[in-house]
Amino acid sequence: MKQEDALSLLQPYVDGELDAATSLELERYVMGDAIARAQLARLRSLSSALRAAADYHVAPASLRSGILSGTRGAAAPPKGSTRHVPAHWLRSVGIGVAAAAFASIATVALLGPTQQDLTEHDIFAAHARATVSDRLIDVASSDQHTVKPWLSARLGFSPPVPDLSGRGFELAGGRIDVVGGQRVAVIVYRRRQHMIDVLVRPAREETPSAKSRDGFNLNHFTQNGMSFWLISDLNANELGDLARLLVASAGP
Amino acid sequence: MSENDRRFQDAVLPHLDAAYNLARWLTGNDHDARDVVQDACLRAYRSIGQLRGASARPWLLAIVRNACFSWLRANRPTEVAGSLDDTERAGSTAREDTSPGPETLALENLDRKVLNDAIAALPAPYREVLILRELEELSYHDIANVTGAPVGTVMSRLSRGRRLLAQSFQVVLSHVESGGRR
Repeated sequence: MKQEDALSLLQPYVDGELDAATSLELERYVMGDAIARAQLARLRSLSSALRAAADYHVAPASLRSGILSGTRGAAAPPKGSTRHVPAHWLRSVGIGVAAAAFASIATVALLGPTQQDLTEHDIFAAHARATVSDRLIDVASSDQHTVKPWLSARLGFSPPVPDLSGRGFELAGGRIDVVGGQRVAVIVYRRRQHMIDVLVRPAREETPSAKSRDGFNLNHFTQNGMSFWLISDLNANELGDLARLLVASAGP
Repeated sequence: MSENDRRFQDAVLPHLDAAYNLARWLTGNDHDARDVVQDACLRAYRSIGQLRGASARPWLLAIVRNACFSWLRANRPTEVAGSLDDTERAGSTAREDTSPGPETLALENLDRKVLNDAIAALPAPYREVLILRELEELSYHDIANVTGAPVGTVMSRLSRGRRLLAQSFQVVLSHVESGGRR
């Protein structure tokens, strides 16, 4: 590989846009070239500084609910704006999140889905519902000793709630949700601006899987008699990292 | 509830944070970001039928992005006019600058505010690709779809945007250093 080529490949490499073979070739080249190595280090530190410290502006709850429910009082900007979303449109959109979830489940059921399809659909729906309604967390705490008893007290089982803050996954809290007509524990972790739902219930035999839909990634496995589903808009690689940490912390 | 209402809620609303974040970074303030996102969501709702199979996130972000640029052209014409000429003339700038510089920038020591101000000071076309890449983690392909620019242009804007940022930090850092020595 020529230096010129290597330098032009550094950015796509850092951005995860190179195929595995080219990445390997570039990594080998970089080991022997100080200039390329320095460039790579700069690109990486810039990228991680941006991810760590750039502000992520979350949509205000009033905007979200304004779009959903058409509550103009809450949704209207303070003053001076002439662009209001028509109230009739907002009403038609806001007829009911629950009804939407029910309708889509009913649609899937008509097509004769497998049990796993249904479960996954419920999980995507649960995550979407929670995100839309800003109700990701019922018990907000970064302390595993607060979240775990709160969940256990409301369920017939005690889900594992490991502290993974040392590994880049901050505990944000927990909630109870319903999947396949059954109550499940949802442990919520945060990585950068991404929220990750970890749904846990006593295991049935299921095969591990990972998939994505509409920009959300899903990772599923069973461990020690518990089924885990991880769902987030976090990228699939890092979601996989969390899955491995959970497996490791749950023991053999 | 109509099929369109359901699709809008399922596909679009989960990406509202991403939409707002992009609009907030492009307009530079909460009030206008909110207006632009509301406007864009109405457009997304009306054209939800076009979403067939496509991934909702880049689709929504493209609508928001176009709404932002319309807003910029109307309200901050200097931000969009001219700023691009330099870039596109510089063309593929991937190897134009291999200036030595420090082995790694001392970015850990950089103040959060300095970093955010530096991003906000970038011309909009560089700012948007950096936000889409680093904060929304979109692929080059998706960024190209959102911005309506070819992948090659996305790459050169990313490269130039990063270089501009790095330069502004070095300026800040050398100020700090020389200040310290005095």
